[in-house]
Amino acid sequence: MGSGYLARRLIQAFLTIVMIVVLNFILFRLMPGSPERAALRIPGISQEVYQATRVRLGLDKPVFPDQLVAYAGSTVRGDLGYSYKYRGQPVAEVIGSRVWPTLILFGLGELIAIGVGLALGAYTGWRRGGPIDYVGNGLSLILYSMPYFLLGMILLVIFAVGLGWLPVSGMFELGARYGSWVDQLGDFAAHLVLPLATVSLGLIGQYSILMRSSVIETLGEDYVTTARAKGIIDRHVLTRHALPNALLPTVSLIAINLGYLIAGAITVEVVFNWPGLGTLTVDALTARDYPVLQGVFLFLSITVVLANLAADIVYGMLDPRVKS
Amino acid sequence: MRSSTRVRMLRTFAAAALIGALLLPAAAPATAQADNVLRVGTTQDLDSMNPFQTALVTGFEVFTLNYDLLVNFGPDLEPVPGFAESWTQSSDGLTWTFKIHDGMTWSDGKPATAEDARWTLQLVLDALATEDGFLGAGYLDPYVSNAGVTKVEAPDATTLVVTTDRPNAQVLQMYIPIVPKHVWEKVTPATMSDFTNDVPIVGSGPYQAVEWQVGQFIRFEKNKSYWKDAGGADEVIIQIFSSADTMVQALRTGQLDYAHGVNADQFDALKNEPDIATVAGTANGWTEFGFNTYGTGTGKTIDGGGPSTKALQDPKFRDAIGYAIDKQQLVARVLGGYGEVGTTNVAPFQVKWHVEPDRPRTFDIELAKQKLDAAGYVLQGDKRLDKEGKPLNLRLYMPDSETTYPASAQFIQDWLKQLGIAVSTQVFDSDTLTALMLPPEGGDPVNKADYDLFIWAWGGDVDPNSLLEIFTCDQIGSSSDSNYCNPAYDALFEQQNKATSDQERKDLLAQMQNLIYDEAPYHILFYDAQLEAYRTDRFSGWQNQPTSNGVPLFGYGSLGYTLLKLGPAATPEPSAAAPTATASGSVASPAPSAGGGGSSGASSSTPLIVGLIAVIAIVVVGGFALSRRRASATDDE
Amino acid sequence: MTAPAVRADELRAGRLRLRLRGWRDFGARYLQRREGVLGAVLIGFFALLAIAPGLFVGPLETATSATGARMAAPDAVHVFGTDELGRDILNLTVHGARVSMIIGLLATLVTIFLGVGIGIVSGFVGGWIDNVLMRITDFFLVLPTFVLALILAPILREIIGTEAEVFGIRMTLYVIVIVIGITSWASTARIVRSQTLSLKERAFVDRARVIGGGPGHIMWAHVLPNVLGLIVANTVLTFAGAILTETSLSFIGLGDPFQPSWGQLLDAARSSGAPGLGAWWYFMPPGVCIILVVLAFTLVGGALDDLLNPRLRARR
Repeated sequence: MGSGYLARRLIQAFLTIVMIVVLNFILFRLMPGSPERAALRIPGISQEVYQATRVRLGLDKPVFPDQLVAYAGSTVRGDLGYSYKYRGQPVAEVIGSRVWPTLILFGLGELIAIGVGLALGAYTGWRRGGPIDYVGNGLSLILYSMPYFLLGMILLVIFAVGLGWLPVSGMFELGARYGSWVDQLGDFAAHLVLPLATVSLGLIGQYSILMRSSVIETLGEDYVTTARAKGIIDRHVLTRHALPNALLPTVSLIAINLGYLIAGAITVEVVFNWPGLGTLTVDALTARDYPVLQGVFLFLSITVVLANLAADIVYGMLDPRVKS
Repeated sequence: MRSSTRVRMLRTFAAAALIGALLLPAAAPATAQADNVLRVGTTQDLDSMNPFQTALVTGFEVFTLNYDLLVNFGPDLEPVPGFAESWTQSSDGLTWTFKIHDGMTWSDGKPATAEDARWTLQLVLDALATEDGFLGAGYLDPYVSNAGVTKVEAPDATTLVVTTDRPNAQVLQMYIPIVPKHVWEKVTPATMSDFTNDVPIVGSGPYQAVEWQVGQFIRFEKNKSYWKDAGGADEVIIQIFSSADTMVQALRTGQLDYAHGVNADQFDALKNEPDIATVAGTANGWTEFGFNTYGTGTGKTIDGGGPSTKALQDPKFRDAIGYAIDKQQLVARVLGGYGEVGTTNVAPFQVKWHVEPDRPRTFDIELAKQKLDAAGYVLQGDKRLDKEGKPLNLRLYMPDSETTYPASAQFIQDWLKQLGIAVSTQVFDSDTLTALMLPPEGGDPVNKADYDLFIWAWGGDVDPNSLLEIFTCDQIGSSSDSNYCNPAYDALFEQQNKATSDQERKDLLAQMQNLIYDEAPYHILFYDAQLEAYRTDRFSGWQNQPTSNGVPLFGYGSLGYTLLKLGPAATPEPSAAAPTATASGSVASPAPSAGGGGSSGASSSTPLIVGLIAVIAIVVVGGFALSRRRASATDDE
Repeated sequence: MTAPAVRADELRAGRLRLRLRGWRDFGARYLQRREGVLGAVLIGFFALLAIAPGLFVGPLETATSATGARMAAPDAVHVFGTDELGRDILNLTVHGARVSMIIGLLATLVTIFLGVGIGIVSGFVGGWIDNVLMRITDFFLVLPTFVLALILAPILREIIGTEAEVFGIRMTLYVIVIVIGITSWASTARIVRSQTLSLKERAFVDRARVIGGGPGHIMWAHVLPNVLGLIVANTVLTFAGAILTETSLSFIGLGDPFQPSWGQLLDAARSSGAPGLGAWWYFMPPGVCIILVVLAFTLVGGALDDLLNPRLRARR
């Protein structure tokens, strides 16, 4: 992988982030209700208070360039403004406290889904037409067609409400005092099972479909046919030739799909009252807490851009064709 | 080679199983205990820890735990000791002398004295004296202004003297938290909105917030130096739920002790649950169907806004509409039978003040038509015209906060259609709707009060004043959402505020209630029920407030929490050993009996769900598999 | 200048004949794809429901016209039970088909319109315009578009207004349509651009250029028809995505309670506590419909993709 490739990717990622910040700024100007009114949230305030707030928020200055520059500056400093809903709480803090539950849920979900989904996809693709392919691919398609939250609701009704095996909502038992960290971890894990299962199952469907078609495609390639003709045993054809080549496009697609994943993330968290960014987003939407919504958007966008950058770099290192 | 692939697959599955195994201890009931923590659930988030900045019920509940009111509210909303242990009123009725608990301390150990109370009330008075005339979010200062407080003094550490401009008892109902001067000293009316009042809170209430996970929960610790026993719980957690559904499930499975605000169907289902008590209280408020009467009396109009027809300013028109609303039906169908038919603008919760109207309306579409005809709103074809000859097409708006609003709207839309009046409906978020409904009098010329009809709700105070005030001319541009203005009503409002006896005030309030009912800027659809449920196996001593038609928590003041005792209710003396055994049995098995206790009700349907999913899965997978087999067969040919 | 025109017409007629034969061929090959047929049958079924819901279950039940008890389990009269206002779930689900399918269809049209427009211009014009458009496209590909949709929906509601009703569909739903369109055109634009690039080099485009067709004309008359043929599969898959996005948006409270889509029904089921009450009949019918419709479009899209562009897999 040449340094030119890396540099180009870095510049691209940086430009994307700049565009995100600008878009965020534009959205803020477009929002219903003037920001100063929303920030005050009081009907019938006097003109003096109103003006004072405008000055304090810098809204008396021209939109471009003053306000944009001020906005970009504060964003770079990590100052995302203050929540409308939680009066006076900085947006960065509100978001910060919600990051790790989402990270754990979706990090683990991704790992499981990549493991299981790719294995399932590889196998069903390899054994195309076999009984496992019928069932596996059929299930994957159903899971893929199902909104995450519906899957979550069904799992919730069966395993938490009906059978009572697992807790209904939240991340820890309320007000619990733990004898040791093992107990606490156990409690956490119990709460994690259902949302994690929902996320994983939803993703497994998607990934196994991607992997399956990728493997099928690869198996049609000349070099695989050649390898088979040469009499190399099938297992080696699969593991040494077909799989590595099928993996590459799949992995890059997974990175691209990160943005889509977030829609699922939001609804799953709502179903299970999981205290992550998803529930925060919906709460902020309900309260029309635009600064928080924007903060979440900014945070998630940058995360996805960086994840894509990482995937690109890995891809570049793995794939000999990406040189220049 | 085929088998070796299988081995690989097995290995992959083993890896997955390993991850599962890591999570397995999880599946067992958590060993963690929460036996002396009171866990209270609500679906409304907390907006601010600063009492003067909050606009939400949860915020009020939180600050009455953190802080004492000067005078607390008893089981029947009577004044009971709070920050002050006793009080006397001077013979002319203008001066109140409060005795503050001797030797009381704040939760940080510093002495809590009359000076703290004086400082707090003076802060409100200072704010009222400023040009803006309100403090923080502006929700608490009216308690002081309505009580007519003019002066507060603290001659010594245990004496607080409050002077009012007229004799009244509202001084005892001021919902103002007494805050510690040594923590709040730097706060002024101008800087109030910047003061976030971070945890841990220093207060003198029964429980102080020590942790606030925004959007998730608030954790309180018991105030060891509270002036009396603060209650059976060592900790209180107020948990915010994103839906009533998860909240109810948490209650059923023993992960929650109190659920605030469940719906009628959930309430019915919870009635039969073991160890769960349900209570249907009456809300101190109502849900109304209102008219934009902007311009009544004044004839004022708003450029590019205001009501779409002058008919809305006509009491005769509004009165006629009232006959086309079947409130019984709404209570039965929308509220599932919980709640009362709405009439006047003082809710029946206010047992002392509520009157039924002298000239009640009955549901009678034909009569409504006749009344409209008589008032000059004639039918042309199937459309009813206003007096200017324009067909009546009214816009009905409502916030998205309650499902009862769109449900009621569907009924109203249909009834008005029978009168020949077209109604278009629209749901908004509360902030957008507030801005949309404000007239320019609110101080911002962009506000145009551009609506015709609305459905929304109000909740009131212990004193009826705050809900009476919203119909006064002064409130146009502020809390008035009907833009109603009637000098006769305003005069009555002033008079009742100055009434010196309860009887005199009640007579005036009766006149006001009848006036609003007859003139109908609102048709009050129903008085909502307050549906709550709580577990009885971990705490006892649940006290409804008021005793006749209230609920244990989320009432007025902090009394409900302080009366709770750890453990289930003691068995009544005469009863035999058997129930005691069950009770102690449930204590002995502290792990929440999630499977046992929580599964009735829903478990009956679980097999159905499983069956349904299985059937779908089989059909689809089977069909698909079949199709693929044939497809691949043809492909291979 | 008349001669080339005649020739072009002849060319077109010939192509039409070719295309007709191609269609017959194509139909026969498609029918061999059983999963594609299954999907098409399902789509046909739901399209029928969407076109004439009244034919199957009568007019949409409102709170006023509802006849059932609250949250009643399925019985002979209400085969899918009732909701918290006593409305028949079957009735609501069938009418929800109309709302969901129309939103899906319109959102797909907006998406394809934007995607094709930007893709063709970018690929055909090239240069810095291509560069700028593709940077924007990449930007939208990377963005978590669902969150953007959440922010855009209230803004658009404010701008567009929510009063009017066009073709019996409330304005709030058009807002959802536009939001989905704005946030999901990027992948289509990418595909269309690459198609355009290869078309640009093909002989007939050169011929058109030689005979003096302006770039606008060439894009409209030559590139567009060919591109449309190539993105049929992508369009079908876009539909599936649009239905899913609409469902999620409604589920988190951006739907319209007065014109319930399937997603809105699921939201209503959750907010009325149906999952906890064990009222599976409230959320399973709309849920299963969503699954079946998305599945159907995915199957059809997959089948078309295999048949039409075997080397070019639509990616989502």
